Parts: sequence; C-alpha cells; structure tokens
Amino acid sequence: MEFLNNVFVAPFQDMAAAPDFFMQVVWEGLVSGVLYALIALGFVLIYKSSRIFNFAQGIMVVFAALTLVGLHEMGVPALLAVPLTLGVMFLLAVAIERVVLRPLVNQPDIILFMATIGITLFLIGFGEMIFGGENKVMITEQLGIPTGSFEFEPFGGFLLIEQKDLTAVVGAGVLVLVLLLFLNRSKMGRAIRALGDDHQAALSVGISLSTIWVLVWFIAGIIALATGIVWGARAGVSFALEVIAYKALPVLMLGGLESVTGAIVGGLAIGVLEKLFEIYWGQPLLGGNTETWFAFVFALIVLLFRPQGLFGEKIIERV
Amino acid sequence: MKTYLKTAMLGAALGLGTMVAMPAANAEDTIYAPNLSYRTGPFAATGIPLMNGQRDYIMMLNERDGGINGVKIEYDECETGYSTEKGVECYEKTKSKAVVTQPWSTGITLQVLPKTNVDKIPILAPGYGFSPMANGKVFQWAFNPPASYWDGASMMLNYVSDGDLDTLKGKKIALLHLDHPFGKEPIPLFEAMADKHGFEFLPIPVGLKEMQNQSAQWLQIRREKPDYVLMWGWGAMNAGAITEAVKTRYPMDQFIGIWWSGHDGDLKTVGDKGKGYKSISWSVPVADAPVMADIKKYVVDPGNSLMEDPADINSVFYQRGILISMILAEGIRGAQEHFDTKNVNAEQLRWGLENLKIDDDRIAELGMTGMIAPFSTSCADHTGHAGGWILEWDGSKFAPASDKLTADADAIAVLEEVKAMEYAEANKPWPINEECNM
Amino acid sequence: MFYRISGQFKTDYRSDHALFRVRQDAVLMGIILLFAWVIFPFTANEFVFQALLIPVLIYSLAALGLNILTGYAGQLSLGTGAFMGVGAYACYKLVTIFPEMNLLVAIGLSGFFAAAVGVAFGLPSLRIKGFYLAIATLAAQFFLVWLFEKWAWLYNYNASGAIQVPTIDMFGIRVAGPTASSFVQYYFVLFVVTIMTIFAINITRGHIGRTWKAVRDMDIAAELVGINLLRSKLIAFAVSSYIVGVSGALFVFLWRGAAEPNLFDIPLSFRVLFIAIIGGLGSILGNYLGAILIVALPVILNILPEMVGLEINAAVVEHLNIMIIGALIIAVLIIEPHGLARFWAIIREKLIMWPFPH
Repeated sequence: MEFLNNVFVAPFQDMAAAPDFFMQVVWEGLVSGVLYALIALGFVLIYKSSRIFNFAQGIMVVFAALTLVGLHEMGVPALLAVPLTLGVMFLLAVAIERVVLRPLVNQPDIILFMATIGITLFLIGFGEMIFGGENKVMITEQLGIPTGSFEFEPFGGFLLIEQKDLTAVVGAGVLVLVLLLFLNRSKMGRAIRALGDDHQAALSVGISLSTIWVLVWFIAGIIALATGIVWGARAGVSFALEVIAYKALPVLMLGGLESVTGAIVGGLAIGVLEKLFEIYWGQPLLGGNTETWFAFVFALIVLLFRPQGLFGEKIIERV
Repeated sequence: MKTYLKTAMLGAALGLGTMVAMPAANAEDTIYAPNLSYRTGPFAATGIPLMNGQRDYIMMLNERDGGINGVKIEYDECETGYSTEKGVECYEKTKSKAVVTQPWSTGITLQVLPKTNVDKIPILAPGYGFSPMANGKVFQWAFNPPASYWDGASMMLNYVSDGDLDTLKGKKIALLHLDHPFGKEPIPLFEAMADKHGFEFLPIPVGLKEMQNQSAQWLQIRREKPDYVLMWGWGAMNAGAITEAVKTRYPMDQFIGIWWSGHDGDLKTVGDKGKGYKSISWSVPVADAPVMADIKKYVVDPGNSLMEDPADINSVFYQRGILISMILAEGIRGAQEHFDTKNVNAEQLRWGLENLKIDDDRIAELGMTGMIAPFSTSCADHTGHAGGWILEWDGSKFAPASDKLTADADAIAVLEEVKAMEYAEANKPWPINEECNM
Repeated sequence: MFYRISGQFKTDYRSDHALFRVRQDAVLMGIILLFAWVIFPFTANEFVFQALLIPVLIYSLAALGLNILTGYAGQLSLGTGAFMGVGAYACYKLVTIFPEMNLLVAIGLSGFFAAAVGVAFGLPSLRIKGFYLAIATLAAQFFLVWLFEKWAWLYNYNASGAIQVPTIDMFGIRVAGPTASSFVQYYFVLFVVTIMTIFAINITRGHIGRTWKAVRDMDIAAELVGINLLRSKLIAFAVSSYIVGVSGALFVFLWRGAAEPNLFDIPLSFRVLFIAIIGGLGSILGNYLGAILIVALPVILNILPEMVGLEINAAVVEHLNIMIIGALIIAVLIIEPHGLARFWAIIREKLIMWPFPH
C-alpha cells in the first residue's frame, strides 16, 4: 500500500505542494529538451537524405564548439570566428563526403553506420591533438548572448530563468523555422527531400548526389555549431560533451528517424519527462541518476505500440 | 587496383599481428618510474596539469642534482585516458622494470591492487585510491600519503562544524558525487559520522554521462535545501557543478569540494561568480617557494615543460603534481640510504615509502615550506594522515582560507580496520603482513 | 600449387557438406590449433599473455556471440557490453554464494542469466526493426549498467561498488585470482573458447542457422515460408547472449580480476561491434581476425615509437592511436565491407588458382 502511495500519489502531491519548483523542473526539462531536439535534428537531416545513421553528430558538436573557442583564443574576434568555424564545418562536410561517403555508396546501412563511428573516433583523436583536452569556456558574452537571468515569484515561490537558456530556446526556434522554410520552399531543400523519398528517381531527374550530401552534412555542421554554443554556454566545452549524442537517440526513436517535427516534439517531450521522472520518482525511490536510461526505456515502450516512432513514416514491407 | 589494395592491407595486418614487440631494454644506471597518465579522454582537464607537475619535478631533480643521490630517474608516461583496460595494459607493460605503479584512477587501482602483492611493486596513489589502504598490515604494497578520502571527508566536517561535530546535529549534509568507485569512496565515513553525530546525510550521485548536465541534481539540492553540499567531483563534473550552483543561487560558502574538485581551470569557467567556493586540499600553491624557483630555472625557462601557459605554474594542480613526485622521490632517497645502494628496486622502494619522514625541517630543505603539511608513514599507517587546508576561490585563483585542519583520526582508524579486514576476507587467501604491529 | 584441390573428389552428399571440403583447409586448421594450443603458450611471456593472447580470445568470443545475433540473424545490437556485464555479475554472485562450485560450471551457468536477460530485451525485436531495434538495445545497455551501479546486492554491498575476483582453485590448480598464472588462465580461456566455437559452427550450419539466415535476409518472406519468427529471433537472442555472457564472465574472472560497472558501458559494446564488423558479419573466422586486429593494433602502436627510438609524448601517441583506429575502420569498410573474413576467402581463392590465374 505504501509502495503504491509512493509511486502514484506522493509524487503528484509533491508537485502540487511546490508549484514554483514544479515549474522550474519543467523549464529545466524544456531547455535540455531543446538541446536534445537540436542534436536529433542533425541526425534526422542526414538520415532523411542519405539513410545514414550519423553517429558522428555528437562529436561534430564538440568539434564545432572547440573550433569556435580555439579560433577566438588565437585572437580572432568572436563575430568573425563564427563564419570561420562554419567554413571549417563546410570543409569537414566536403572531406567526409569525398573520403568516406562516396566510396561507400550503396553499401548496407550498418556499414555506413560503422563508418560514422570511424569518423567519430578520428575526430576525437584529431580534435584532442589540436585543441588539447582542457575544459574550455564558451565565449558566450563575446557572441553577444545575454548572461543575466529573470526571476519570477509565482505562487509566492521562486522561478529562475537564465537569459542564455531563453536565448537558446528562441535561437533554436528560429533555426528550426529557417530550416523548415529552406526544406519546403527552396529548390535545394526540395532536392534534399526528393533524395530522401527515392534515391534513384532523384538521380534520374538530375539531382547531384554529392552536392546534396555535402550540403546536408554542412547543415548538420551548422546545427552542431548552434548546439555546441548553447550547451557550451551551460557547461563549458570539453570532450566529455560528446556523450550528449546518446541523449538524442531515444528522441529519434520516439519521434521517428525521418521526421523533423518528430525530432522537435520528441526532444521536448523526453527533456521534460526525464526531468520529472528523475525528480519525483527517480531520486526518492530509485537512488537517482535515472536520466541515463529513462529516455531509452520510455521510447522503447512507446515503440512497442508504434514501431516507426510517433511521426516516422509507416514502414510498409513487401516481399 | 582494388585487389592489390586488399592484398596489401592483409599483408600489413598479418605483419602487425605476428610482430610481438617488447619494450626496449634500459640503461642500468637509472631508476624507472612510470606513471599511468591520463592526458586524454573526458578527465584530461584535471590530468594534464597534474602530470605536468609530476614530470617537471623529476626533470628538475635530474637537471639540478643529477637525479637522486646521483641516479637519474627515468620518468615515463603510459597513457591510459582514464580507461581501466588501458591502465592494466600499461601496468603489464611497465611492471618488469618499474619500481612503482602510479595508477591514477580508482578503477585501475582496484584492478592492480591484488596483482602488486604477487609482482611485488608498490602502488603510490597520493590522495586517491582506496581509503583503507592506510592499513599497511593488509595492504602491504599500497600507499596513499599524505591523506586519504576519509581524511578529506573528516576535515570537511570539522571545518563546517568549527571542530565540534555535535553542532551538526539536525543539519543536512549532501554529498554530490560521481557515480563511480571514486565518488562512492567517502560514503562509509559520512554514514558512520552521521550516525554518531546526528546529522542527516544525503548522497546525490552524478552519472558519468550527466557530468555536464547536472540540472536534475541541483534541482534536488534546491528541493532538499541541505545546509552544506560537499562534492566528490572529477574532470568535467566540477565545472558543471559549479555552474549549476551559481545558477541555483546555492550559497558558495556552503559548498566544499574534495581536493580533486579544486582545479583552477574548472573555476575559470565561472570566474567571479564562483567567488567563495571552497575546496579542501592537502597541498597549497606557494608562488615564491624555492622549489618553484628551481623548477622555473631548470625546466620551464629552458622550455622543457609541457605546460602550455607558464602562468599555470602557480595553479593548485600543477603544484600538487610536484608534491606527488616529491613523495616518490623521498621514498627513493630513503630506500637508497637505508639499503646503501644507488639503484633501488621495487621491494626496497616499498620500505622507503613505508618509512617516509616528511617533517617541517625536511619540507624546508626541499624548499616546499607551506606547500604541504608534515607527515610520516609506518607499516601500520600507509597514509600518514597529514592535515590539509581549505582553499577558497577569490575569482581568479585559489588562496588558503583556513588554519591547518586535521582529520578525526580515531573514527577513521576504526573504519579503516573494518573495511581492510572485509577486503582481505572477500579476497582470501590474502597475504597479511604479520610482522606489522598496529 | 600448395592449395591444389583437383583430385579431391566427392562421391556423396555427406562429403559435400563436410566441415572441411578441401584437405588443405583441415591441415591449415590443424596448424592454427597447434599454434594456439602448443606453440603460443610455451613461447609467450607474461605481457604477451595479458595484453594479447587472453584478450584476443575473450574478445573474439564476445564478437562471436554478437555475430550470431547481428551477422546470422540480422538483429543489430548495441548492448553487448551490458550482456557481458550480466554474465560477469552472475558469475560473481554464483562464486560468492557457492564458493565450492567449480569455476567452469559457474561460468557455464552464468551464461544462462545473460541469455534470460537477452531474451527479455529481445522480445521487442518482433515489432521493432533496423536502427529502431539498435537504439532499443541501447535501452538494455544503459539500464543494465545503471542497475549494476545501484543494486548493491550484486556486488555484495562492498564500499567501492566494484567486484573483485576471489581466488579460485579447480582440481588443485589456481585458475582465478591474483596469484593464478597466466599460463593456466590462457588454457582455461582457450578451452572455453574452443568449445563455444565448435558449438557456434554447428548451430550456424544446421537447421537453426538456416532459419536465422532466412530471417536476416527478409523476415516477412521467412515467415511466409513457415518459419516461426518469434522462436527464431528469440533463439538467436538467447544463444547470442549466452555466448556473450560467458565471454563477460571470462573477461572479468580470467583476465581483468576486478570490474566496476562502467567497464561494461557503451565503449565495450562498440569495441565488440567493431571486431564483428571488421572481421566480417556472418562469419565465424572473422571474429578471430577482427579481434586480433582491434586488440593487437593499439598495443603495437603504443610500443612502436619506442622500438624505433622515437620520443613521442604519450598523449600524442594516444591521439594518433585513436585517429588511426578510426581511419582504419573506415578504410576496411571502403576496401572490403565484408570484413577480414572475405580477405581470407579471396586469398584462398587466389592460392587455389596460383600459379595459373585466369
């Protein structure tokens, strides 16, 4: 009886008893959710256009952030460092397409997936050699991101919203809007979607595979930089950041591998739910630290009912 | 073309596979002291300055004095990236000629510990490893001077209670720790102390993957409102915790880290906002210590240091690395004098480490006055239980903010005995040094 | 010339389905076994045992387990590390609860625990496919590692949260614990690996193996020809996890000597996956070739600069190491996506033709 009470009643009583705290938990969850969504978005774009499950997205985040900070340390002004970093990400995209992807066209999915793990390892070694392993500070202020915070007092409590988190949410929103516009309205965007629908048909109407791949990996690089700035502003930039790539995987499961909407909705949902679960169930009942697996198990359960994720394309199998 | 490539690849693979190479033989007039370093991986940020300090002190001895009593020390790093697997490989690779093992991670220490009994190589784990290692009767080959994690925990409690632990009655103390053997290390002591002195103890684990994403843990801290937050953090976790603490408005003066959480680099990420953050430490950086002048003269100025920024010479971790090498060097020196030989071997070094006498005079001779508290080891006490100080972050550097603190030796000794015996029991037959009188 | 197959006639179906259809294959196998059972153990030193021979065997066994699931039955799994952990923790509990138990029996039994957990996490494979399943196995990975950390009963409530292998004797010979000799441990591991390999060869060549391949190539089609998908996939999960669990128990008991929970975290899973893929999916031989490459390469890369007399900073070596392994994975995939096992097949083909290629 007491157990049932602890699981089904007490957590909700806690929520109601301290609504300001509850709001803070939801806000923190939302902010992490935005970050998960951003990483997942990088995955989705690449998967959509090339059926490659790009494991290297996590390290690309680290790499982009380190390049930005590294350039700034070398004396490049912050606002110039951003386009330069984008240039580096573009070169990276070209290199990956030329060296890794082009020779692997038409290989099974798992081979391409392994190749992206190879890219990950290579970039870890390469990045550490160039930038060193020290924890670096993201150049938040130099980029013009406000660092103060807003404080509210709902229900006589206390709710703190950091301006940089707010900037992250707004920035991510703008980025997603631009991306959606690009995908749906521009010629290039249509080509990306066409390639995603049917490779051969797209090739036969004259869409260049290699151009689109470079473009898509470059966009993933832009998203990686945005993620790197936002996350780096919260916790500093180091190689330990690479593990956040794992957080995006359950988001993909939940939202569906091909769906931009899925990545966003899935990211936000998982961000909020895992925070709520950890605070109200995980810490009191399970010894805490449930965030490492909650999202995966949750997504797994959802998947049992919808095998292609919430927004994924329905899998039609033919013999 | 493609088939040639394939044949070439296969040839190369076979060639590599059959080539079983052994480490090259060494010149005989040096003492080989390997270090299982971690300059790569997620913990590299804390590793690099420590390794630099260790390396530079040995280099300085070799340059200034031609080694120890005329024997040069060969300092060699075997990179582990903090991975246990690589660590054990490094141990196996170096053990044939090493006089010491410096494992650096608690995981590697745990794996190497039983092997050292067989291979007869002392483990030197200054300020880390396994707290019951203090018991030299059970852990004949393991040394963790000058202070163990339990010493650190006890000193923290003494500090927050102004020396009278009973004033903590009814208070709540949270331990924010890495969910890993290292982070769990102080829990038995805190639990024992909580029972005895009536304060509430609340462990809050941080997963290895959540080191930079601690908002859930800090929300819990906000909910539980502990009177003090003590932190057992490592690498990227420290910066993450301090950033979150600033954000949650947790009062910095009630937030104290263990010595591995007092890294200048971590605090620089928060700068002024981290003002008031404290860390217990068995070492204190002293900018004008004579030994630092020598290191600057013999190693840094000629450009032989691996330090990227010469200003780091005064950082807490660099100077702690120097002290760690000093403990090793003193062990070697002691063994040389006792056995009247220049080339000490691993077993002789074990004696040296067991009979360290680092008193105030010796510290002054070494040019390290104020950097470390005096201590001595014996077969019953492999730790030395030296005291420590609270260092406080003033916005740009750590500065001492307390008098010398000491640990609650009695409470720790009881626990050390119990846990050491438990370990010996679980791993029987475990060799016990019966000659040793506790 | 040396690999001449002409003149070796087959007169019945039985000989056409023999394990070694060509005499030279059997001879070669004999030579390899001779090396593994006699020459290596008597010439190796401590370092070679601990850094090369024993890990190669254990990793190939783990890769073999994964290969059955991924290479034969077509179910991509990223949770191998955690299943190894289940085997290791089960073995630890068995050995500490029943100290009298023979270690071989304990290791054999611990595989069943891993198999049971594997089947439980394999159930969703009926509805979830491809990368979705791969991510689902990550749920097992992260959940189990968390459980190893939190469930204090698993590590007998000791303070550090890690498990330490006790000293174990078998028939009067010390096989596990710090005082066991590498020589004995090598033979123990070799024995288990040999048995498991024979088992795997037989199961993959038989009825069950053929149903797996059908499921791998297209599961709907396999179902239409009357294969019970549920049974086939779950058997694959069970057999695979059993082997992986045994390799996990060997990993800790016969090699590492101690383990903390995050040893079984995702890098271990990836390592085993690399071995299986570089060695060649759907091949038994490939696991051994892959393990030799992935285990030996870093060891050799670490020693190489020292041998040549180059003074390179340890950190730089490690960075180069990671880069080289990453580049190597990509290179192998580009040159031969079917892995090292296919290399051997090509060489064998050429040897048969030699010296008169078409």
